[in-house]
Amino acid sequence: MSRVLTSDHAVCVWIPLFPLRLEEARRPELGTRPLALLDPHDGRRVWQVSPLARRAGVRPGMTIGQAIGLCPPLMLCEPDPVTYDERFAGLVAALGDVSPVVEPAELGRAFVGTDGLERLYGGPEAQLAVISSVVEEWGKREGGRGKGNAGWLYPSPFPLPASPRLGWARGKFPAWVAATRAEPGDAVIVRSGEEQRFLASQSIAVLPLDADTHRRLWQLGLRTLGALAALPEDAIVAQFGRAGRRLWRLAAGRIAEPVIGRPAPQPIGAAVDFPAPIADRLMLAHTLERLVARALASPRRTGWRVQVVRARAALEHGASWMTEVTLKDPSADRDRIAAPLKVRLEQAPPAGAVERLTVEFLAFTPGTTELQLFARDAASAARAGRRRALHAAAQEIKTRFHRPLLHHVVEVQPWSRLPERRYALIDLEP
Amino acid sequence: MSDNGSVGKWRRGRSVAPRVDRLRAINLPRRAIVELDAEGRPVALELRGKGEGGRGKGPPHSLPVEFVGETWRIDDEWWRRPIARRYVEVMLDGGGRVMLYEDLITGEWWVQTP
Repeated sequence: MSRVLTSDHAVCVWIPLFPLRLEEARRPELGTRPLALLDPHDGRRVWQVSPLARRAGVRPGMTIGQAIGLCPPLMLCEPDPVTYDERFAGLVAALGDVSPVVEPAELGRAFVGTDGLERLYGGPEAQLAVISSVVEEWGKREGGRGKGNAGWLYPSPFPLPASPRLGWARGKFPAWVAATRAEPGDAVIVRSGEEQRFLASQSIAVLPLDADTHRRLWQLGLRTLGALAALPEDAIVAQFGRAGRRLWRLAAGRIAEPVIGRPAPQPIGAAVDFPAPIADRLMLAHTLERLVARALASPRRTGWRVQVVRARAALEHGASWMTEVTLKDPSADRDRIAAPLKVRLEQAPPAGAVERLTVEFLAFTPGTTELQLFARDAASAARAGRRRALHAAAQEIKTRFHRPLLHHVVEVQPWSRLPERRYALIDLEP
Repeated sequence: MSDNGSVGKWRRGRSVAPRVDRLRAINLPRRAIVELDAEGRPVALELRGKGEGGRGKGPPHSLPVEFVGETWRIDDEWWRRPIARRYVEVMLDGGGRVMLYEDLITGEWWVQTP
């Protein structure tokens, strides 16, 4: 098992609307019109929206009908997730030349660990200059690659990397917030010790919130991180549980989440080329299962459970299809890994016949202490899942009420003639 | 731990030894006031609330006994702190089966599920 590299100081490299910018890059005529990308998982909804379309009222998640109703000249674009992913993987690999600690967060956003780089490059400004030039070089290289998966010619030089936003800070969250405050092609530096002051004036929208939590904070009159951090931590925990504690600490600058380098093992994949393109979903689902089983059998996977799995397909006529699943409960069981992929296959099937199907395990968690790794039947896997869910609930209750309210019943002296001696309660401690 | 709430050693079967200081006994007896007839049989029961020693919430309330069922006696731990109880199974007026016991050493009455 290889050691996981971490870094407290981080640079956030952010290219907003990365997939949309790629589409605009390969079809420059789209740049002057309102544009929306369709959701790869639900072709009836829009996924990413250009500023022109947003100005007309189009928002991510709207149905196509709603979007067209609001903006009749809207251009809708089929997504090409495989290309987006390949391009982003290229960016992450390029950033790996600057630092060994690179953590991709989402398409177009990655964190670079900078601990120790000062002796190599100098201070934060010099580090940012190096990263900026690496991104620029990557863009030129990508632009020179010529054809993308769909056969379109990319313009050269590639226009995207000219406008990454960079943020330097101690911890991923302040670095991310700094990047959101930076102008395109520029950087914002938050020096150590200044995190709290910097964060205090930022909007709560920068927090990793779900819509409901955001709405509740808004209803409570909390608009900035400073307002949130001014409240007692316990009050936020009482309202929002463990998630609230993390939010409060992020807002108050109390935690600095480190950049975590890509954990070992490296991605494991299995692929199959069909002699004749396949469109039958049952056949594809069966093939997915076989590929998952083949990838699981890789010796590199031993001792690890799969957390992120991706299936991608090369379709007829140069199109592509891709879906990625993060397993809530990492697993080493074929059926548990294949099940969400098959659901995605049913919900958002490939738009054409498949020529090549690939399954990749992208992220792993250590699996040596988990029952699930050794579970050979559905019942034991379900038991393990229930136990984990119960422990998570117990942890949540303990966090909220400061004492455990769930208990085990344990035998003490079941043979005793005194009823109160037979059984006892013990705190359920996850 | 008091006599009523004490627990003994753990039986084998758990991989991680539980912390004894977090044990809470189940089915602790609750203090009760019992009205007896001439033959020493319960005719009415007044509960003082939950908890050993009569601690608890809510006002005490009296319940007439409609029927007295089985009676049995437990004598235990004569070698350290003797325990002597006379258990009585009663049916309350309006329904409700209750187990009472008289502590034969202190003369106090308690309610407990057998």
